[in-house]
Amino acid sequence: MLMSKNNIIAFLSIFAFFGLAMYFPFTTPVKINYPKSWPKPVYDFNKNPLTQEGIDLGRKLFYDPILSKDSSISCSNCHLSYTAFTHVDHALSHGVNDSIGTRNSPSLMNLAWHTSFMWDGAVNHLDVQALAPISHPAEMAEDINNVIKKLQNSTSYSGMFYNAFKDSSITGEHLLKAISQFELTLISSNSKYDSVMQKTSSFTPQEENGYKLYKKNCASCHIEPFFTNNQFENNGLFIDSLLNDYGRYGITKNPNDSLKFKVPTLRNIEFSYPYMHDGRFNNLSEVFKHYTKGINKSKTLSTHLKTPIVLSSNEKVDLTAFLLTLTDKNYLFNKNYGFPRALFFSENE
Amino acid sequence: MKFLFVVSCLLNAHILMSQEETSPIQVNISPKISAKDAITIDNLKFYLTNFSLVKSGETVWKETNSYHLIDISKPSSLSFNLATKIDFDEIHFSLGTDSLTNISGAMGGDLDPTKGMYWAWNSGYINFKLEGKSKSTSLEFHLGGYAPPYQTVQKIKLKTTKNDLTIFLNVSEFLNQIDLTKQHKIMSPGKEAQRLSKILSTLFYVNE
Repeated sequence: MLMSKNNIIAFLSIFAFFGLAMYFPFTTPVKINYPKSWPKPVYDFNKNPLTQEGIDLGRKLFYDPILSKDSSISCSNCHLSYTAFTHVDHALSHGVNDSIGTRNSPSLMNLAWHTSFMWDGAVNHLDVQALAPISHPAEMAEDINNVIKKLQNSTSYSGMFYNAFKDSSITGEHLLKAISQFELTLISSNSKYDSVMQKTSSFTPQEENGYKLYKKNCASCHIEPFFTNNQFENNGLFIDSLLNDYGRYGITKNPNDSLKFKVPTLRNIEFSYPYMHDGRFNNLSEVFKHYTKGINKSKTLSTHLKTPIVLSSNEKVDLTAFLLTLTDKNYLFNKNYGFPRALFFSENE
Repeated sequence: MKFLFVVSCLLNAHILMSQEETSPIQVNISPKISAKDAITIDNLKFYLTNFSLVKSGETVWKETNSYHLIDISKPSSLSFNLATKIDFDEIHFSLGTDSLTNISGAMGGDLDPTKGMYWAWNSGYINFKLEGKSKSTSLEFHLGGYAPPYQTVQKIKLKTTKNDLTIFLNVSEFLNQIDLTKQHKIMSPGKEAQRLSKILSTLFYVNE
């Protein structure tokens, strides 16, 4: 006999193992890390448990222009990893055929704690956020069903969907959940500010004074530790007569919501310029000028801005020093967030 | 024995269903736009959810994960089975999806956002979609919205003891109750979407 009994058993076990693996692909569970002092995430991970396979798939989708009508625009076009996943230097978002949107692309971080998405809160859940840019004529201008058709024609994608969700047919649900999985890993919790809070580092006197000024003037809307209250506020900007953007009002049709926009985070503010929903301010000094001298006292102005903010020029410098402690290089230059070359090109290419 | 529930749409006069699934359904309705103005319905889809059976006021059976996307162009969506043999005298269900469903992220099956029943730029399900045209105008009713005060989901209670029952929706009457010269396009949540959803909720019935 060429094969011993043991060899046959070993052979059969390997065969059975791969057979089972074909039916039940192994997924590698992943847990997100965040400071103990943070509240529990808003996102329900039980409905979309993170796996390495799901995250990889979401990351590839995030960087793949296949999501757009003419394969020219990916999520990463307006959300660049090195600049806090926003479109640095671009006031308004860009889309297919050189079209320009009406709002500044927001940064992407700590999304598991967001209660709404988009500047006007048009989207109520992270999973369904991607539907908006995919379908918008001035962004990706594509039909979700067509995206799925394109993905179904790709053998690499059907394999990845199978590995992540046991779904090689590719459904809209899994497409969206995969993108969520990658986005949920984008966590910024390692800035100097964070290490000061964890008492492993300390502020300089200038930063310390800036922190006090932040607490006095900014903290009612930009609440720690996420530096946003997830609410909608009118921060006193004059309306841009070309864009005519009334923000939250467009969603709720409630006049009390006129000119209100979602309060953005201050984390990584050093890299997320230009600022405001329409990217009208290029730097922090323009932002300070607005809050100290430029408030438009309209009906729906945030109650927190009814008393004018006063900052001396020295105080502006100190406040800036504090804001720079919110820069998180672990997040900005995280190798797990960038373009996944290995997922697009095989080793021999 | 299983009860077969057939959901069908009664359209006043007659429905000329062509053999091909993709062709529009020809409907003649009593004219509101102009005399004998025929309306072609290209698309008619809606959610029926939360089915339950009631006997003497007590719920005796509830469907779990109860979501049915009714699509007039897909005959397979027009009939489905509910419970096995149960004594009941009322059937309860909702037209549309409840608010929890609307804030729960990406879902699968009939709730998959690829079904053409989800609003990308104002999150939430379209509960009822009717698209069509007459000689003079196009009709586009996308009714939905879960946020107060403009919730559109409607509870419907019908008395019946039949095991094999057909639920009718009188779409013609719906179109009759709207002044189509003034109102023929609704694409977002609001007062009108809510008003029309309420009208729809009164137009379901079972044949005894």
